[in-house]
Amino acid sequence: METFLQTLASGILIGGLYAIIGIGMTLIMGVLNIINLAHGQILMISMYITWVLWHYFGIDPYMSIFITIPTVFLIAEGISKYFLHPLIDKDSILPENQVLMTVGIGMVIMELARTIFTSDFKSISPTTTLRGEKIDIPGYLQNSIHIANISISIPLLIAFSISIFLTLGLFLFLTKTDKGRSVRATAQDKGAAALMGISTAKITILTYGIGSALDAAAGSLLLPIYYLYPDVGPIFTVKAFVITILGGLGSTVGAIFGGLILGLAETFGATYISMGYKDAVGLIIFLLVLVFFPGGLKRFTKV
Amino acid sequence: MKKILVLSLIVAIGLTFLIGCSSKEEGSIKIGVLLPLTGSQAKFGEMEKNSFDIAQAEINQAGGIKGRQLEFVYEDDTGKPDVGRMGMEKLIAQDKVPMITGGYSSSVTFAAAQVAQKYRVPFMVCTGSVDKITEPEAYDLNKNDGDKFYVYRINPPVSEYASGLEGFINSVVKPKSVMIFHEGTTFGTKGAEAFAKTCSKLGIDVLGTESYTEGTVDFKPMLLGVKEKNPDVVYMIAYVMDAALLMKQSKDLQLSPQIFIGAGAGFTMPAFRENAGVASRKVVSSTLWHQSLPLAGAQEYFDKYVEKFGAENTPDYHGAEAYAAAYVVKDVLNRATDYTPESLKNALDKSDLMTVFGPVKFTSYGKKIHQNKMDTYVVQWINDELKLIWPQSLADADYAFPINYAKEWAE
Repeated sequence: METFLQTLASGILIGGLYAIIGIGMTLIMGVLNIINLAHGQILMISMYITWVLWHYFGIDPYMSIFITIPTVFLIAEGISKYFLHPLIDKDSILPENQVLMTVGIGMVIMELARTIFTSDFKSISPTTTLRGEKIDIPGYLQNSIHIANISISIPLLIAFSISIFLTLGLFLFLTKTDKGRSVRATAQDKGAAALMGISTAKITILTYGIGSALDAAAGSLLLPIYYLYPDVGPIFTVKAFVITILGGLGSTVGAIFGGLILGLAETFGATYISMGYKDAVGLIIFLLVLVFFPGGLKRFTKV
Repeated sequence: MKKILVLSLIVAIGLTFLIGCSSKEEGSIKIGVLLPLTGSQAKFGEMEKNSFDIAQAEINQAGGIKGRQLEFVYEDDTGKPDVGRMGMEKLIAQDKVPMITGGYSSSVTFAAAQVAQKYRVPFMVCTGSVDKITEPEAYDLNKNDGDKFYVYRINPPVSEYASGLEGFINSVVKPKSVMIFHEGTTFGTKGAEAFAKTCSKLGIDVLGTESYTEGTVDFKPMLLGVKEKNPDVVYMIAYVMDAALLMKQSKDLQLSPQIFIGAGAGFTMPAFRENAGVASRKVVSSTLWHQSLPLAGAQEYFDKYVEKFGAENTPDYHGAEAYAAAYVVKDVLNRATDYTPESLKNALDKSDLMTVFGPVKFTSYGKKIHQNKMDTYVVQWINDELKLIWPQSLADADYAFPINYAKEWAE
């Protein structure tokens, strides 16, 4: 029972974090109609920003969300405006090539990170040197709370809570604001949206920025839990991709469930089958969903 | 007809060009080095490259090879076997090196070794550790090709990594049960198999073997399973950051067996202590080398490395392997009559020298040929420093056992 509860708790918490990474990709998928294969690398940018702020300025990783989100948003707007949009604009350029463009962007980001930061592993280590002083990091960045015999890592819990908060924010934005409604309209039918007077070009660029900003938040939340090196991106691109498909392309609610399902599948697979098959379990579910619910979990939701 | 003439002319010109390139007697002697300089294993590759660089500078300062400079040509394998093969082909076909060294991860090294064998260029492996690398059986060879085996290895194979540990476990820990936890690469899987074999030989119960894949954020469900089984020893094969995560999460769960033992790789790296923090305390690991071993030049190499790359970058056995490999290269080149792959192979066969990593002499035993036999040792993190604790005759610190992990972690 204890193992079951521990697995459940771990699965839900990690699933929440996966979900916010997945939502970013699914949003981009919905509006731009391309799989953003640079998604993991954008996450990596945010992780590096968070690390630099922590390492050199002592800024708390959770506070740095206020910096990473706008910074990454602007970077992503730039990428979208100058690299992706010109390709999307031309009907003669196939979507496959737009996807290839994101692969290229991802590679450039990765190699830039390697040039600047080398291949060293970076992480928020338990003791850190800040302006020549050795300090222990605050407990909430590394400790766990114990309920009965179940150990829940505090940084993972914080990450989960902030993810929920941001997801709710995104929902309010998508359902209550004009811009948000425009985003949804563009995702549903680009042509009709244009006829209603929505500047779909602007919305496309904005959406890439918003998707990346969510990704950026996930990066800041992930740093206290995981570690960072230039090649960390692809691991999370794959996860985001699986979530996007699970959730049904372009569905935000679907992506939330997709993230939770992936998190739970991975942890339950690790506990009850084998840790080594963790990824396999996630991908088998991915295949089952494709076979039996080709539209993903979207068909159970309306948003 | 005309076409054929033109074509053959081009081929002829090409050939003379090629021959012209390879027969030049001047300039530096180029030796290939295959290492992961980018990718997730780059931290290890970087340490090895730094060590090759130190050795190269030293050798050239001391007059080089018969008056000519030695130059290591690096090729990045990115930790992927296919890229490693390509890098190997580039070193052989384009850079025309007569010999290659390096080779970090097991799977990449084995893939690269096949290329070396195919082109008949000696490949002296210094880190890649899966057993089959020096087993001609594992290669697709013709019947008589076995005598013409071009792969050599300085470091012991993974099945012997824990040989030093055997004595320590047998006479100090005396456990009844063990749980093995490894990463799902060739190195991890083979190392786990070898350790399970060692355990059954020593009469220790293996309660289970678990593997994990790269990108695992939360090990807790699995560690809780380990806690329920309550083994005396938790044996782990992991690269550096995962090793730190494993120990940190074990600490969170208060999983405390009698002893945590790491199988080299990540557990001896300074980054492990830095990232695991208090959770790194008293963790034991097998190792292939320690600077305090009575080997001429070992401490000097260690000091030189630290002086050049900073106190937070202490080299472990990976660096020593690379540094030693550079000196074996120097020795081989000095003894060879000319710098063709064939005569370097002959010189390699007769190698018998002492390096900072230990004696190097390529012998045959079991299924292996061209394998250097070497002892392995046991180290422990004591007072945040990696200390050599076994064999006791060479140790520079007393081992700490039994260990109360809860108390170590509480501080």
